[in-house]
Amino acid sequence: MLSFLKRLWNTIRRPSVHYSLGALTLGGFLMGIIFWGGFNTALELTNTEKFCTGCHEMRDNVFAELKSTIHYSNRSGVRASCPDCHVPHEWTDKIARKMQASKEVWGKIFGTINTREKFLEKRLELAQHEWARLKANNSLECRNCHSADSMDITRQSGRAAEQHQRFLFTGEKTCIDCHKGIAHHLPDMSQAVWMENDTKSVLERATAFLGRQDAPKAN
Amino acid sequence: MSGITRRDVIKAQAIAAAAAAAGIAVPASAQNLITDANLTDLKWSKAPCRFCGTGCSIMVATKAGRVVATHGDAEAEVNRGLNCVKGYFLSKIMYGKDRLTTPLLRKKNGKFDKNGDFEPVSWDEAFDIMAEKWKATLKAKGPKAVGMFGSGQWTVWEGYAASKLMKAGFRSNNIDPNARHCMASAVVGFIRTFGIDEPMGCYDDFEHADAFVLWGSNMAEMHPILWTRIADRRLSHPHVKVAVLSTYTHRSFDLADIPGVFTPQTDLIIANYIANHIISTGAVNQDFVSQHVNFRKGAQDIGYGLRPDNPLEMAAANAGSGDSEPMTLEEFAEFVKPFTLEFAAEKSGVPKETLKQIAELYADPKVKVMSLWTMGVNQHTRGVWMNNLLYNIHLLTGKIAEPGNSPFSLTGQPSACGTAREVGTFAHRLPADLVVTNPAHRETAETIWKLPTGTVPDWVGAHAVLQNRKLRDGEINVYWVQVNNNMQAAPNMMEEGLPGYRNPDNFIVVSDAYPTVTAEAADLVLPTAMWVEKEGAYGNAERRTQFWHQLVEAPEGAKSDLWQLVEFSKRFTTDEVWPAEILDANPDYKGKTLYQVLYENGNVNAFPNEQRAEGYGNHEAEDFGFYIQKGLFEEYATFGRGHGHDLGAFDTYHEVRGLRWPVVDGKETKWRYNGKFDPYVRNGAPFDFYGKPDGKAVVFALPYEPPAESPDDEFPFWLSTGRVLEHWHSGSMTQRVPELYKAVPDAVCFMHPDDAEALGLRRGVEVRIKSRRGEIISRVETRGRNRPPKGLVFVPWFDARQLINKVTLDATDPLSKQTDFKKCAVRIEAV
Amino acid sequence: MKRIVLSLFAAVSLLSAAAFAADNIATLRPHTPLAENGTPAPMAKPVNSDLRQVRNYPEQPPLIPHTIEGYQIDKNSNKCLTCHSRTAVEVSQAPMVSITHFMNRENQFLASVTPRRYFCNQCHVPQTDAKPLVENGFIDVDAVIDYVKSKEGTK
Repeated sequence: MLSFLKRLWNTIRRPSVHYSLGALTLGGFLMGIIFWGGFNTALELTNTEKFCTGCHEMRDNVFAELKSTIHYSNRSGVRASCPDCHVPHEWTDKIARKMQASKEVWGKIFGTINTREKFLEKRLELAQHEWARLKANNSLECRNCHSADSMDITRQSGRAAEQHQRFLFTGEKTCIDCHKGIAHHLPDMSQAVWMENDTKSVLERATAFLGRQDAPKAN
Repeated sequence: MSGITRRDVIKAQAIAAAAAAAGIAVPASAQNLITDANLTDLKWSKAPCRFCGTGCSIMVATKAGRVVATHGDAEAEVNRGLNCVKGYFLSKIMYGKDRLTTPLLRKKNGKFDKNGDFEPVSWDEAFDIMAEKWKATLKAKGPKAVGMFGSGQWTVWEGYAASKLMKAGFRSNNIDPNARHCMASAVVGFIRTFGIDEPMGCYDDFEHADAFVLWGSNMAEMHPILWTRIADRRLSHPHVKVAVLSTYTHRSFDLADIPGVFTPQTDLIIANYIANHIISTGAVNQDFVSQHVNFRKGAQDIGYGLRPDNPLEMAAANAGSGDSEPMTLEEFAEFVKPFTLEFAAEKSGVPKETLKQIAELYADPKVKVMSLWTMGVNQHTRGVWMNNLLYNIHLLTGKIAEPGNSPFSLTGQPSACGTAREVGTFAHRLPADLVVTNPAHRETAETIWKLPTGTVPDWVGAHAVLQNRKLRDGEINVYWVQVNNNMQAAPNMMEEGLPGYRNPDNFIVVSDAYPTVTAEAADLVLPTAMWVEKEGAYGNAERRTQFWHQLVEAPEGAKSDLWQLVEFSKRFTTDEVWPAEILDANPDYKGKTLYQVLYENGNVNAFPNEQRAEGYGNHEAEDFGFYIQKGLFEEYATFGRGHGHDLGAFDTYHEVRGLRWPVVDGKETKWRYNGKFDPYVRNGAPFDFYGKPDGKAVVFALPYEPPAESPDDEFPFWLSTGRVLEHWHSGSMTQRVPELYKAVPDAVCFMHPDDAEALGLRRGVEVRIKSRRGEIISRVETRGRNRPPKGLVFVPWFDARQLINKVTLDATDPLSKQTDFKKCAVRIEAV
Repeated sequence: MKRIVLSLFAAVSLLSAAAFAADNIATLRPHTPLAENGTPAPMAKPVNSDLRQVRNYPEQPPLIPHTIEGYQIDKNSNKCLTCHSRTAVEVSQAPMVSITHFMNRENQFLASVTPRRYFCNQCHVPQTDAKPLVENGFIDVDAVIDYVKSKEGTK
């Protein structure tokens, strides 16, 4: 085995006898284009709504839910497709997300969410992945379309304008903090809230309110 | 203050409005806190809600003759302080600006003319022309040409007075309530299975059940306050499960642990599968079944209640047959065997796991199950069967008549039970489950009514759908409609309803508070006092009878249905309406008015006005000179007391928040047929279905049969119709409350977004909804509260501008004669 | 006496007869004969002004002055409470759910909003810009009191 690797290494490092350097360079370049192009084409093919909704898991659950929301149909007809929100546009992040997606292929093969019941059971976990991702990248995919700088708050409802000024423009909160469940149904949030909430701050507030030391403690 | 009337207040309001418009400062109480008790005190009185069959109790505040506020009654067990949005706006339902205050008659050149325009006339003129038409018709064609269409929104005594006037006065059984569209299948279901109408359980079941199964019901919108009790139970007790079965996804699915959308009509298959599951898994409660249950096999191929010359009717082997023959449990087990899980899943489109979960809820002896249904099951060409099949499931498992185990048939209207069913305003019924076809029952009625033997006719009158057919065919020629909007509500308006009302041979009278679509189709419109403008009584879905006082005066000129019925009876003498043989045999009755023999009979006029509660008006009692409501109630109560339908004392009902009958020794009954709760159970038995002579309820073997009309190439969609939360029935009250109108102003055509896309339609575009019978124009809605599956559209019927019943089919359950408003075939076209 | 009242009515009616003679009396279905179909109004737009409206009486549930399109209220989640719950109002500056909403069927206050009040839109509804077909003559209690006061003042 080791000798085989040695021979291979020797062959590769020895200059070519039959092909010119030009032919080799050109051939390598062409092959590179074909491989790279193929890779990217495949990448792009998997980056379409059609691909995403090719599986009934997506089509019958999350995509069906999307259809009645503003991200699917709205006044101006600008709409978001699955990858717009769920796949980063920037290359390295995209590749990272795609590698993560390979796990989803396993999920598909083994039928992790192949029934409505299984999907609903898994929904909280899946949603929390997406919320965590968007929280971590400061709601990047939201901001690809909804730039805070380009918001004309005079065209928003008073309620929205005020909230955006207080929380979004100051950077105190990011989009996903408030806008969960706008494109798909929410999972059981009674489970989610506790995972998310900053438990410490809740307790601090309770202690301050009660003004004494024997306030409830975190365990 | 005592001198201030309602009209003064209206005038003041107008002055204030004018002053405001002119920029004059008006001393507005809003600027200062008023503390003077004389000013801030409101008079609060109770009344049941005017809308659905839940029967919430309302507190109504009046001041200076006006209703100024309403809220949910915290003392009432039904709703404990809650109302739905309609209930919270009850204060405004009487104050639509177009209240009718004078009779309107179609006239040309000063005379009645069927094709004339409506002109105001006096009550005298109105009753004159009515009496003239009634007498002429009776003389020419007899009682079968006279008809009346009433309502589960009549008060108990209105329905009772109407029934007497028709059945004993005009001697015509052509009286039917709109409850026929709503509860008839439930009634026949009860009578077939138990021998007595109405649920054995009560609303207390909500707090005892471990599982709720909704069969084709959208309680979240249609019975919102009962839904709060389910939500309370489900969300505060995590072990509780809610299953929702329907033909489309709606708001009740928001609470569903086990949701299922089934193909229309396959509920028959699902119910039979569950029975099969119970038997095949050994979950039958053998003790209960052997002691309390009989098995019978029902007649099949029973038709669709269409006109007899319809090919479907001619093809049916046993059209209209409710016959059955005895069978054994083993034979029953064989009968349901083909209804396997695979078969049920394939036919219904509901996943196997879902069906199995629901079947398991019923089969598990530790789970107390409440089944709930209304129009999805009742408005069904096999509605009676569906009722029977649901009882089958509860009877096989013995999950019945005890706290939390409860097959519960909900009602649509506020007094569908109290008036339509208990009083028996149906074409075949008399009070307390008696029927006109039974000579002993007729005699009981004649005895209580102090009328000659033979007064009550022995023939079954025309039911709701048949009345419209007979109007169209010119067989019923004078027709009185009270408290309902049947032109908008009845099926197949273009082929039956409208041609019937506009038939030149017919004279149609409509009593209503507002000018409805039905009023527009009439010849004479009578202005009617509504809700707390009269003293009333309603009976809700859990057998609870509730009373209210007259709290305000009706607009001047408007009179209650009761006043109209009784006043009209004064226009007839017995000689004009009864045959000579009855009068010759009973000469005492000669020359008397119908008013004298029906209402001045020593019963109805037995209670003087002094017995009325102080502080409340009563325009009928003031006019007639005696406490007519009490007299009617007491005479009516005679029918049921001692016979399993006992009502309590009249005056008690004005104090308490209703009582659930049978009320024996002043105590209500929560669970009937159960020895622990029901005084009528015989010989100390644990259970006794005493409506049947042997005390045993019946499990019926009934198969699947297809609907009357299914989608095909030409009409590829199912059409289902129904209500919305914000509007009551045809919207004649709620559409006049601006807040409710602005919440849901128009009907829309709910459809699946993929169906819309395939037809090249988009949300909001105009579409023609077309059937073999008629069409309307609506707008596409692909979002919102109702989400139909592909191939089905849902259109609500509250909108007078979109009369969806132009499109529906008048196929009925052949046993109950109740229309199937949930299934017909339509085409959707872009306009 | 009743006869006199009735004939008085007749006189009043006759006076107004000229002003009122019509075939199309169904106010909720203006301008379209029963056998025909009108053009349905365009879908009404949701009111999203955030302006609170005067209640007709204090017991009336407030109307929702903003759109709730797409709001999820089901056993998983209640979107309304993300702004209107007791703890959320500091951030949202929305009105807190009423104290009555913490009471159970026995009128006891619970630690949080009672599940019987969970489905907000059973009582609270948003509004559209649709123009009502019929005016409503309900008079609120302040106007009634004003009148009672003025009447008593002149007594």
